[in-house]
Amino acid sequence: MKRTLYKAILFSTALASSSLLYAADMSKTLRVEFDAGATGFDPAKVSDGYSNDVNENIYDTLLTYDYLARPIKIIPNVVEDMPKISNDGKTYTFKIKPGIYFADDPAFKGKKRELVAADFVYSIKRLLDKTINSPQSYLVDGKFVGVDELVKQAGQGPLNYDTEVEGIKALDKYTLQLNLTDVNYNFATILAMPAFSAVAREVVETYAENTNAHPVGTGPYMLKEWKPGSKITLTANPGFRKEVFNFKADKSDPVSVAVAKEMKGKVIPQTGNIEISVIEEEQPKWLAFLNQQLDILLRGIPQPALKEALIINPENPLDVKLAPKYADMGIQMQRKKMLEITFYFFNMKDPVVGGYSADKIALRRAIAMAFPRQETIARIRRGQAVPVEYAIPEGVAGHNPKARDGAKFDPAKANALLDAVGYKIGADGYRTLPDGSPLSVEMGTGTAAIDREWNEYWQQAFDSLHLKLTFKTGKWSELSKANREGKLQMWSLAWAADYPDGENFMQMFYGPNGGDSNFAFFDLPAFNQYYEEALKLPNGNKRQSLYDKMDKLIAQYQPYIFSDTRVRSIVTQSYVHGFKTHPILSGWRYVELDK
Amino acid sequence: MFSYIIRRGWQMIPTLLGVMLLLFALYNLVGGDPSYILAGKSLSNEMLASIRAQLGLDKSLPEQFFIFVKQVVTMDFGTSWSTQQPVSDIINNRIGPSIMLILTWQICSLFVSLIFAASVAYFNGSIYDRAVTILSTIAMSISILVYIIAGQYFLAYKMQWFPVYGWGNGFWENFLIYIPLPLLIGLAVSIAPDTRFYRTCFVEEMNSDYVRTAKAKGLSEQTIMLKHVMRNALIPIITSVMTALPYMITGSVLMERFFGIPGLGNEILKAVDSSDFPVIKAITIYLVIAVMIFNLLADLIYKLIDPRVQLH
Repeated sequence: MKRTLYKAILFSTALASSSLLYAADMSKTLRVEFDAGATGFDPAKVSDGYSNDVNENIYDTLLTYDYLARPIKIIPNVVEDMPKISNDGKTYTFKIKPGIYFADDPAFKGKKRELVAADFVYSIKRLLDKTINSPQSYLVDGKFVGVDELVKQAGQGPLNYDTEVEGIKALDKYTLQLNLTDVNYNFATILAMPAFSAVAREVVETYAENTNAHPVGTGPYMLKEWKPGSKITLTANPGFRKEVFNFKADKSDPVSVAVAKEMKGKVIPQTGNIEISVIEEEQPKWLAFLNQQLDILLRGIPQPALKEALIINPENPLDVKLAPKYADMGIQMQRKKMLEITFYFFNMKDPVVGGYSADKIALRRAIAMAFPRQETIARIRRGQAVPVEYAIPEGVAGHNPKARDGAKFDPAKANALLDAVGYKIGADGYRTLPDGSPLSVEMGTGTAAIDREWNEYWQQAFDSLHLKLTFKTGKWSELSKANREGKLQMWSLAWAADYPDGENFMQMFYGPNGGDSNFAFFDLPAFNQYYEEALKLPNGNKRQSLYDKMDKLIAQYQPYIFSDTRVRSIVTQSYVHGFKTHPILSGWRYVELDK
Repeated sequence: MFSYIIRRGWQMIPTLLGVMLLLFALYNLVGGDPSYILAGKSLSNEMLASIRAQLGLDKSLPEQFFIFVKQVVTMDFGTSWSTQQPVSDIINNRIGPSIMLILTWQICSLFVSLIFAASVAYFNGSIYDRAVTILSTIAMSISILVYIIAGQYFLAYKMQWFPVYGWGNGFWENFLIYIPLPLLIGLAVSIAPDTRFYRTCFVEEMNSDYVRTAKAKGLSEQTIMLKHVMRNALIPIITSVMTALPYMITGSVLMERFFGIPGLGNEILKAVDSSDFPVIKAITIYLVIAVMIFNLLADLIYKLIDPRVQLH
């Protein structure tokens, strides 16, 4: 009897511990796609969205986002509470939750390794290490007290991680304190980026030769297999802390309500494996989804399939429904407005298109007014985009939905403007500069078919103004170099939010960032002053009023021509539950498959 | 023959050196600057200089070329600049799928085309010959992209005979599940031109004087075809096959992109796009060596087929 009881206890304990080991159903695999391969999984070494999506599921950041709250809301992740920010907005203090462990790895020599404040100190310092050359270093350069000296001491060598600095320090085992060099009430949004994930020093040192291929974090998944450029497989981390789905629904959104209801109280993650296939071409991506080889199309219905897959209201192309044949298959669709702006910019240092005098402003404005934005949205984007009217897109703190600062399409007025400031039409049918010298503008462009489509619209725009336009074709890196060296007059780019704060967008127009994130080399003292003032303010009316003034200045001087923000149609199979598109998060850890 | 092989081996060294010089010059002229890609949004002058120093791009050109020579001698091309993975790992992981696809494709195409070519040559001038010629011309005028898109849509999606996309972990899984559709499409693309080319080789031989003499001597058609015509017609066919085989290494970019085959073709494209010189260097050198080896093999096979061939 005693033995039977003992066995029963043993069995139930084993059962309990195994369910704790794997809350996720290891027989289920979520299959998703990437357009391109991830570059690696060392948070300090990567910056592409694909790597970040994977890192978000392997590692933990101090703060994260509420899965269902809209507008997006930052919440504590591995910390007890939101950080205590000092009154001067310079000191952030975090209390890390005890009992969070890294996934098991030989680097820990068989011991359980707890996440502590020192891990974040080490991880943040790595972003500044010259031997790493982190593409994310711009987020931290000059931001922390005393760190610049440490970087200077290291020269081109590795940082001395054992030297304590005032800016990034562990007060005790679980308390992390960040001391900023300047006031910044919005730094918490930056700290939720995957670049600020905690890595363990032992792991980095053990796999120093190839840290990108050996990620070990405290997150819900672990890297099982990585075939660069082809496939990534993640598997549930059996040691992941117990987290239960407890997000409140946004009641105005039926998807949010459904997700909150079906997932409430469930342990995260629910799905045992995630398989990410790199599918670059659009047809196989769409057909693989229809064939149920993919469960979610993360990047939305591919452009060539939009016409077939959606019923688009011709009066309002953003009013779309899934075509009945797909809706009948149980496919679900969610719309996602990207946190991005696409734009064209002028080199403000260029003697022809740059400068701040009235004639130069007139030239840039005329070009902006001749560009048929609505037509490119209708034709190239198939109506699945909205024009950018403000430097900060919707969904990012600091956006002003009432602003209409984008250039209005009016070629007649644009021509009149050029006539008024003396850009006369010469014998060859093209305008000259006001001093009579020849006028020709060169625009950088890529080599893809879609680039040629855009170029046709630009050619039409320049023709309508009697301006000569030539194209400089090249790879992104070549054009980027040419732009930096001041050899490009115009070029187009897209800027996606690194973090959902207006500062991430407004920095593109700040003079000292010229040639860096300020592609146009726009340098206007008034703008710079507003920008510096805004940096010291939390999100609110005061900062918004400064942002509005800054946006007006951009519209007035026209260093940039705002184009559009894309809207994607994300589709999921009928058996996918718990998925709600999030502007920043991948959401994979919350997905449950019922098949 | 042994001395011939040794001599050809020696000749490979200057050829390889020439290719290395050309590749190095081209990369430095039009290869792009990887530091702009690797810097991400941290595009400060200091960061760009630091990345260039880390990649060794701040060294003088002779120094950089010397490093390249050392890499070729040791066959160790270091790590990829874009993913920081060892180049040897990239090649080891990707060469298998490329070879599996291209080799199967080449072998199947060779056999099917040879059978078609020999039969149409035998019935030269008949309706069968004309029908095959017309069909081949039509098939050749259609782009490979059309075959891929139509094949994927109808055979994989509509008929559900094959997976649309993907690659497994085991040899047989890939060979039996993921290779058949790309192979079928590949055959549809290559059989037509191969059949026409091989047919020309056969017809040319069949119109030769020695065939007429053989016929006059009373030899059977079968003996003439298999013993005489086939042997002579094989020389240009072997040249064509041996020229194509080294490209097993580079795979087929379109097939890889559309069917998710993790081969080297797409890797080259990405390496060029991201100015990943270590990967470009490694694949080019492997390809050049393969071309030289297969050329040598072709010469040796000529000798095997036709003992009259002299190797100098």
